[in-house]
This record gives sequence, C-alpha cells and structure tokens, in this order.
Amino acid sequence: MTGKHTKLTFFLIAIVGFLTVCPVVMLVFGSLSEGLTASGDFTLAKYVAAYSDPALLEVLFNTVVFVVGASISATTLALFLAYLNIRTDIPFKFIFGVISIIPMMIPHILFSVSWVLLLNPSNGILNLLLKELFALENAPFNIYSLPGMILVEGLLDLPIAYLIIAPAMSAFDASLEESSRVCGASTGKTIFRITLPVLRPAILAAFILCVIRGLASFAVPSVIGMPGRIYVLATHLYQMVSTGFAADYGKASAVGMSVLVASIILIYLYRYLTSAGEKFVTIAGRGYKPTIIRLKRSKVPLFLILGILSFVLIVLPVIVLIYISLVPYSMVPSARAFSMMGMKHWIDVLNDPISLLSLKNSLFLGIFGATVGIFLSIFVAYVIVKVRTRSAGILESLSFLSFSFPGIVIGVGFMWFFVRTPLYATIWALLIGYIATYLPYGIRPLSSAFVQIHNHLEESSLVAGASYLTTLRRVVVPLLVPGIISGWVLMATMFFRELSLSVVLSRPGTEVLAVQILRFAEDGLWGRLSALGIMMIAVSALLVILVNYIGNKVRPMVY
Amino acid sequence: MKPAKKSVSFIVALLLISGTLFVEKGGAAEEAKVAFYANITAVEPIMDAFTKATGIKAEYTRISTAKFLATVFTEFEAGKLMADVIQAPLPVLEMLKAKGVISSYVSPEAATYPEGSNKDGIQQFGIEYVGLIYNKELVKPEDVPKRYQDLTDPKWKDKIVMANPASHATTICWLIGLRDNVFASEAEWMEFLKGLAANKPMFVASFGPTPAPIESGEKVIGISMPKYIVTKAPAPLDWARVQNQPLMGTPRAMGISTKAPHPEEAKKFMDYWLSKEAMGLLAKDVGEYVLTPGVFPPIEGMDQAKVISIKELSDDEIAKWGEEFKKIFAVK
Repeated sequence: MTGKHTKLTFFLIAIVGFLTVCPVVMLVFGSLSEGLTASGDFTLAKYVAAYSDPALLEVLFNTVVFVVGASISATTLALFLAYLNIRTDIPFKFIFGVISIIPMMIPHILFSVSWVLLLNPSNGILNLLLKELFALENAPFNIYSLPGMILVEGLLDLPIAYLIIAPAMSAFDASLEESSRVCGASTGKTIFRITLPVLRPAILAAFILCVIRGLASFAVPSVIGMPGRIYVLATHLYQMVSTGFAADYGKASAVGMSVLVASIILIYLYRYLTSAGEKFVTIAGRGYKPTIIRLKRSKVPLFLILGILSFVLIVLPVIVLIYISLVPYSMVPSARAFSMMGMKHWIDVLNDPISLLSLKNSLFLGIFGATVGIFLSIFVAYVIVKVRTRSAGILESLSFLSFSFPGIVIGVGFMWFFVRTPLYATIWALLIGYIATYLPYGIRPLSSAFVQIHNHLEESSLVAGASYLTTLRRVVVPLLVPGIISGWVLMATMFFRELSLSVVLSRPGTEVLAVQILRFAEDGLWGRLSALGIMMIAVSALLVILVNYIGNKVRPMVY
Repeated sequence: MKPAKKSVSFIVALLLISGTLFVEKGGAAEEAKVAFYANITAVEPIMDAFTKATGIKAEYTRISTAKFLATVFTEFEAGKLMADVIQAPLPVLEMLKAKGVISSYVSPEAATYPEGSNKDGIQQFGIEYVGLIYNKELVKPEDVPKRYQDLTDPKWKDKIVMANPASHATTICWLIGLRDNVFASEAEWMEFLKGLAANKPMFVASFGPTPAPIESGEKVIGISMPKYIVTKAPAPLDWARVQNQPLMGTPRAMGISTKAPHPEEAKKFMDYWLSKEAMGLLAKDVGEYVLTPGVFPPIEGMDQAKVISIKELSDDEIAKWGEEFKKIFAVK
C-alpha cells in the first residue's frame, strides 16, 4: 500500500486506540488489582474466583443459545424486511422501513417489560386473548424462557442488522440477478445462488454485530431471563457485582475479558470470510442499477405477511407502552382500566426539570455525537475495507474493543479512565465515551457499503488529478450515502438512549435520558417510564425521517 | 490525506477545547452549593426546601447501590470526590468510614434521634423497611398472611414475587433477619425457607421491579417495600400486618465527606436533612420509615408497626448466604 495509506492507518489507529484502549486497559488493571479500584496490588485471585465458579458452564451454554438464536432471528428478519423494502415494489415501504428500526429507539428495558405484559403466563394480554379464543386451559406462551428471550433480543437487534444490510441491498447491482434469470434460474435459486452470496459481507457483519450486542445485552436477560431462572453472562456478571455492597468490578472484568477475546476472534473470522473483497463489488466504473423487482401476484400475500409481522412484533409492544403511560398503574386492559386513563404520567414527566434537561442533553449527544462519530467512521471503514493490511486488521479490532465489553462493566472502565482527566463529570466525557464504544455502529454499515465500491472508481479520480480528500468527497461519499445514513441513525438512536456509560458518567447538569429511565425503573414508575420512552421514540423517529430526507436529496431513499 | 488529517485534528482539538472550557466554566462558578450522593427515591422536594430555607443550592447525584462504592472510592483515590454529604445503607457508610472517606461530624439534630443512632459521624436516620405487599383487589382479607410463615401455604404457589435471594443483598440480609428476629429455631426458619421455595416465587433483580407484577395481577403478593403503597398510589397495594412479628430493613445512614469541597454547607445540609421538617417530607412524599420520633409514613397501621434494623452482614457473609439460598431456592 502507499505511504499515504500507511500514515492514515497509523493516524487512525492512534485515535481509535486512544478512545477504546484506555478504558479496557483500566479494566485489565482492575481485574488484576486487589480491592475495588484499578490501582491495588497485583493479584490473579479475581480470575481464579471468576473462572472456577461451577455455574459458569451452564451460563455459557445459555449465553451461546441466547445470543446465536437472537442473532440468527434478527439477521433473517432483517434480510427479509430489507429485501422487500428495498428491492421490491411492496407498498408503504417507508412505513415498514421506519418500523424496522423502531426497536432501536426504545429503551430496551421498556421493550422487554412490554413483552412481559403481552406474554407472561399468568395474565399476559396475548395469552389471555388466545386462551379465550381457543378455550385453552393453560397459557400457550411463556415469555420467561429461552425462546422468549431470543424473540425479544432478536427484535431489539433487528435494527442493527437491518441498517447494515439495507445499504448493501440498495447498492446491489440487479444485472447480476438478471443474468441469472436469463440463464434460466428461478427467483428462489437466484436469491440463494446470487443475491445472498453477494450480500455475504453485510449479512456476516450484521450477524457478528448482533452476536456482540447480544453478549453485552442486559435488559432482556434481567427482565425476562431472571424471572424464568435462565442466567446468561450479563445476569451472571450482575449477580457477581450485586451480591454484597462492595461490588467488585475487577472480578466482573475478568469474565468480560473472555467476551472480548470471543469478539476479537469473531472479527478476524469475519475478515477471513470476506477476504476476497473483489467478489462482493457491485458498483464499478461500468455503471450499476439498483432496479426494483415487481412482485406481481405475490405482492398482496407478502404485504399481508409483512404487515402482520410488523404489527405483532413491533407495533403491538409500542401500543402497550402507550397504554401503560395512560393508566394510573400496571393493570390488564379492561373497561375499568380504560375509564381510569389519563395524562398524569405525561404531565409528571413534562413538569420534571431533570427529564427535560435529560432530553436536551441526549439530543445534543445524539445529533452532535453521531455526526462526529460518522465522520471518524468514514475514514476507519475506508482503511478497514480498502487497505486490508495487518494494521487495518488491528484498527478493526481496536474499533470493537469497548463495544465488545459487557455494558455493566465498560462504564466502570470509562470512569476509571476519565477520573484521571479534566473531562470527568462533563458532558464531553459522555460524548467521547459514546463514540469510542459505539464506533462499530458507524463503521459496519459503511464498511459493507465500501466493500461494494470498486477501487477503479477512486483510481480513475486519482489518475484524473484529484486529491484523496476530493476523491472521497466527490466520488466515494456520494455512493456511500445509504451507509452514512444507516450509520448515523444507528449511532444517533443509540446515543439518544445510551445507558451503560451514562449511568456511571452522568452527574448533576449532565443527566441524560437513560439515567432518568433508570431512575423511573428503579422506583417501579412504569407509567412515567413509558411516557418518557414514547417521547424518545417520537424524537428519534423525527431524527430518522429528517436524516432520510437529507439523504434523499443526494440518493434515493434507503428505507 | 493532509486535509483529511487536518479535519480530524480539528474535530479532536475542538472537542478537547470545548471540554476544557466546560470544566473551567464549572470550576469558576463559586455559588454556595452542596453535593449529595445517595440512592434514594424522589428526594427533590427536600432539596428544594433546603435551598429555600438556606439559599444553598443542593445537587443530588443518584448512584445505584451496585456502583456506589466503586464510584466513591474511585473519585476519592483520584482526589476528585465531589460529594459533600453521602447517604447509603449503613454497611456502605461503614466501609467508607474505614477508608477515611467519612468525617466525624455530629449534627445537633442527632440529639433527637434514638440512642446509638450515631456512630462516630455516621448518622442512621431511617430503615429501608421490607414487608409482605399484596394486591388488595385480588387477595381476600381472610387470606392475607398474619405471620411470615403463612407465605409457605401452597395457595400462594406461583403467586409470589421477590428479589433474587441468591444475589440481592438486602433480601439476603432480610432472610437472615427473619432467622434472628422471628423464628424460634434454625430448623423452623429452614422449614420456612423450603416452604417459600416450594411455592416457586418469581425472582426479579431488586425491589424496584417487585410492585409492578403485584399491581397488574401477574402475581398477587411479594416480599417488597411498603413505601410503594405511597409512591404507587392509587395502585391497589397493601401490606400484611404480621402479628407480633416485626417489619425489618437495612439501616439508612449518612455522613459528611472528609474531603467535602463545601464543608460548611455540608453541615447545614445534614442538619436540615435530619430535622423533623425534612424527615416529615421523606415520610409523607416517599413513604420512607424514619427514626425521627413521632414521624410516620402515611400508610395505615404503620404507626403501630414494630420496625427494626437488621443485623449488618459482611460482604463475605452475604456471598456465603447467597450461595446457600441459591441451593435452597434452586436458583440455577
């Protein structure tokens, strides 16, 4: 590679490394230190204690089933939704596009509670309905089970998979499929032999990101797994830090290290599986056309399937949240419940100065943070995909470092780091922490979009005398718009509801929405929690529509 | 490349400069204020009343119990502890005291509190009390437990919710408190635990998620906190008046930091917090059980209840009993 690329790579390694390595190094120190901070005497006792726990084996088994199950569900559903939304003439595609990313906008704890109200075996609304309809003796579904956990986590991870697969799908060169059909292949055969293999980098990226997110997820294991007595790594770590008053995050970090190693292995596996980059190029110098497939007779049935799926899986839980925000306390829907409805929880939230300050701070962090984050992601993704040297591999692994750590632990790592800087207890600590942790949300969609752009395009620009930056600005970035939008939406919605870091780093004056949400959850105030959650969904949805509108000025709609 | 590098450097520099400005701005403002670290519900009315009475701005930083010690120790060791006054369960305050974080200030208001409620600057002011909370629309009056032992009746099978006895520190201490204060023998206590486990209670992470399933009828009774009867009104919650048996809970305590950035304001805050006026607000608005004589939460019958502090367990003991309860309650 050229010297310029090498310089750029090392420069990015320095920035990304600084952002992500510092908290992880603090966690390494913490896991090897006596006492409760990261500055005690050296000891290996925490590793011995953490890994000799007899419960760990079963926890690991549950974790693998939970995480792989949820990631497969999320990726499959995302593929189905993205294919219909982007490649076909299915009606109301904009609505389906927004619905697919709604779970990204909801605080995960709230989405989980909503599913508990729908499918708990005692008086879950859907269970009661099905029992009534089919005269059943027992509830047909029990949310407090591994399949229940997989369902809800899969839905929560769906937007991640969708926002990675969608840009790749929109940059798909339909002439490849046309050639397949011309050669006599059926639609199904074309999908399995041409479409899916070409999309392999995006599908794998989506799957891997979902796996890593699933490993770090806490809301579903806590709200759904714990009552079902199903423990995964996140709840195991929670038990570890919550048994007793002096929580030992060093010991939790010791367990977290294996998650980190697993994540790095996955990233290298991904690089290996997509190493023949040329195979996945769909946009070269010879023009590409992302044509729309006409569904004809299957249009109505597919529309109905999509409509029912979207309604049951995503819209219904949101309706439940609206309902909870209007009733005075948690109650099963009935004539009495409807007669007691009112706006009390909404008024309480709107009159709460901390909730309003949180909204303001989170909006700033969402919009400004995502913009800075996506800017950095463009360069990082470029190096990861186009340079592909060993240093680029290191850069890719570095970008995942903080992201891979279970949320319950990484916040403490950042605290141990920031307390040594003047940024501690400021909003900038939150901003830098967010970008450092969620950088893969910007990098992944951009990488899968970069993979599809042939080097010839840049080379032609460079030969014609343009600089690297001009080439990036005039040639590459316009082709990346769907990836940029996806990455921005992922980052902004994530920053808007971020919990793991905020709960440790936020202080009076820098409160964010997640902190308020947690306060309401800890006090069991589900009505206010739901009202604030719906406000969050509304603001996030507005942001998504706005950024889509801007993106649409440059390129056709992604969603 | 060069412009790219410039742009990135520009953004990083902008971030750092803005960060420094933010910090400087914060440091420059020398208004009278006091920083309060705690994990307690809805104390804003007390903060406001304090500011109104003294003109000192009170800032509340809420830190969950699991992160409390980690945060305070980290800031203390780095010389950046921003707290003036710290409130937490008594065992946490004692651990902080042992590390030199808590001063020996004794408020004049402490004189009105029961004997022994101040230990070298650590002032106990309340009890985070736990009881049997039920849904009064779904549990008939004659079925309401009259003793803790009644919870082992098979009629409660699959109808109980409680915090996880394998990990939730307060629940672990509470179960041990039953052994020490309620049951006549270890065997009787063990029988109770096994009976409770046989009724397959649903476990949640802490007390916070316990009232919602009781309100909604998913479960009908739980080991929870009576204060929810106040904070969750008009939810149909009530507490079981256990006869000749006490309600028990972890002692709530507070103290002033040895490195308080605003030591004088901290004393004023602690004096105010311990006053009958502030404790009255805490009892009335939040349903807390406080030690100020004559002040009770507005929960029917609570002024007649015997509420006691449970014995503090060390973290090693909590971990040990957590393991035991894991086996008894078949927590995997």
